[in-house]
Amino acid sequence: MIPGTWIVRPTEPVPYDLASDLMHDLAERRADDLIPDVLILLEHPPVYTGGRRSDPAHMLWPEERMRARGAALRLADRGGSFTFHGPGQLVGYPIMRLDSRLDVIPHLRRMEEVAIRTGADLGLSLGRDERQTGVWAGPAKVCAIGVRLSAAKVTLHGFGLNCSTDLSWFDAIVPCGLPDRSVTSLSRVAGRTISVAEVAPLVERHAAEVFGSALVPAPTDIADAFAAPARAAER
Amino acid sequence: MTTSITMPQLGETVLEGTIIRWLKQVGDTVAADEPLFEISTDKVDTEIPSPAAGTLSAILVPEGETVSVGTELATIDDGARGAGDTASDAGATSDAGTTAAVTTTPPGADGSKPPTTDGTGTTRSAGTAPRRVPVSTPARGGPRSSILSPIVRKMAAEHGVNLGKVTGSGAGGRITKGDIEAYLASEPPAATAPKLRVVSPADGAREEIVPVSHIRKRIAEHMHESVQTSARAWSMVDVDLENVALLREREKQAFRDREGAALTYMPFVARAVCEALLEYPQVNAELRGDDLVLHRYVNLGIAVAYAEGLIVPVIADADSMNLVGLARAIGDIASRARAKQLSPDEVHGATFTITNPGPFGSIMSVPIINQPNTAILSLDAVEKRPVVVDDAIAIRHRVYLSMSWDHRVIDGALASRFLARVKASLETWDFAEDLGR
Repeated sequence: MIPGTWIVRPTEPVPYDLASDLMHDLAERRADDLIPDVLILLEHPPVYTGGRRSDPAHMLWPEERMRARGAALRLADRGGSFTFHGPGQLVGYPIMRLDSRLDVIPHLRRMEEVAIRTGADLGLSLGRDERQTGVWAGPAKVCAIGVRLSAAKVTLHGFGLNCSTDLSWFDAIVPCGLPDRSVTSLSRVAGRTISVAEVAPLVERHAAEVFGSALVPAPTDIADAFAAPARAAER
Repeated sequence: MTTSITMPQLGETVLEGTIIRWLKQVGDTVAADEPLFEISTDKVDTEIPSPAAGTLSAILVPEGETVSVGTELATIDDGARGAGDTASDAGATSDAGTTAAVTTTPPGADGSKPPTTDGTGTTRSAGTAPRRVPVSTPARGGPRSSILSPIVRKMAAEHGVNLGKVTGSGAGGRITKGDIEAYLASEPPAATAPKLRVVSPADGAREEIVPVSHIRKRIAEHMHESVQTSARAWSMVDVDLENVALLREREKQAFRDREGAALTYMPFVARAVCEALLEYPQVNAELRGDDLVLHRYVNLGIAVAYAEGLIVPVIADADSMNLVGLARAIGDIASRARAKQLSPDEVHGATFTITNPGPFGSIMSVPIINQPNTAILSLDAVEKRPVVVDDAIAIRHRVYLSMSWDHRVIDGALASRFLARVKASLETWDFAEDLGR
């Protein structure tokens, strides 16, 4: 194992397509051992995403209505059903090479553990559901998880932790395909506003512990690539 | 030598997975460790690498199917025969579930991994790349960021674009999709690659575009080829199954208790057909060039419907079996066909085929001949019908047995005699003896 995991933490929201491209590129480079594991922590502009096996019936609004509200719709090459990413949600993409394909389920559990410990720091009691991957505050899901494992055993995609997400975005879908369960955010559970900026350092700390690897900043050209839209706007 | 690809284990408690995509088609060449298919479990989509190099010789589980761990999914043939081969033995179990099948070659260890092009336009391969990069080493890049999106890389590869000639307009000189498009517009057109159609699950669509599954394509080819090849003609007889029905009624409970399966009409018909085929070998034959090959044995194909289509497992040497043996064999292959647990050998080599649309309510059918057979028989629904028996109207169990036959080999008189023989056997044989009673 290469000591240390690169952390990429763009300050501006990263469009889903760009993040997806870069994530896949990094995963290929990780597969070839050209780079160490990478943890990407970011926010997306509003976007609905589904896995390849997502049930179209779980999309309650037509795409036009999503677009009219300012959200894109994308199909992603990950497991799991439809979800929403947007402002106020901390998205984590651990690009990590696993020793064994069997380690992918423990990988899901590790992501859950990061969110649970983060919640504990904030005084919130979050937990797992034995049958449903994700992190829950009572009956409501606060952190959604969906991943892809490449042929070279590198993980892609990851988790979305609702910090101060406007939960009405989730009206458009049946989140994670579970009609009888609802979605919540850390802010709603805590009864105060908990921002992504407040949560991100906690997630970084717990990710280092749970994944067992110190986080070191990624080289600047990688960080710059994620900042491309912000730079373009400045020009 | 053939390598069997099985559904790998993806977690200690994960017992099944869904094939979401085959990344190779039958006949494609596959390198060891090249991604071969994708499977989906609850929250994880997983790309599975090929455990061996060779040609993908069969896909046994189509996209969209969910099967349990260990189910055979495909076979890879390395073209070599005999011992001394490094490929794994077919059917062996997966090594702790870490790969699709038996052997695992470390990435690039056999040098077969195709080289990929990175952002600097140079070629790297796993064999020459350093396996460990110190943390402090920045990503390679030089003046341009080395990060390149897969779309850009794919476009460049498809159009044969030398990336060194493309000016990047993105951050840090990153080449964007637009840059490639602009470059292509300024260059003479290269051969265009086929476009992929993306199916979006938009609501309210009046048409749905569904990719044709691999198995559907194979069925389509097979059926079309048969119709183009054979001179199909058709005959039908109306058979009285009253005696069979009475026997079946009397014996079905004992049979179920003993065999754990229902006693259907199929083994009775199969038994009568096998006997008649030995008597009329042209119906159990194959036209091979200028020769007619008459089989003196019966490998009986049974068409089995399942969710994705149709498969014809074969009962080898069915003519050597009695009624109970046939009933067991039919039950066995039908259940394994639906569970997709047939070996490739079991779906080849039929000399005659019976199809059985009866359970779905059809009363007569004109099936397409299963090439290279010369005929196919359809067992439709057995019904109680009013018929004239000894100048009186009686209610009897009756069935139409239809046969499509190849007029290149068989004439109407022969087809009719064959069917008459099957009819006579079903109406007059004492099957009780065959049931061991």
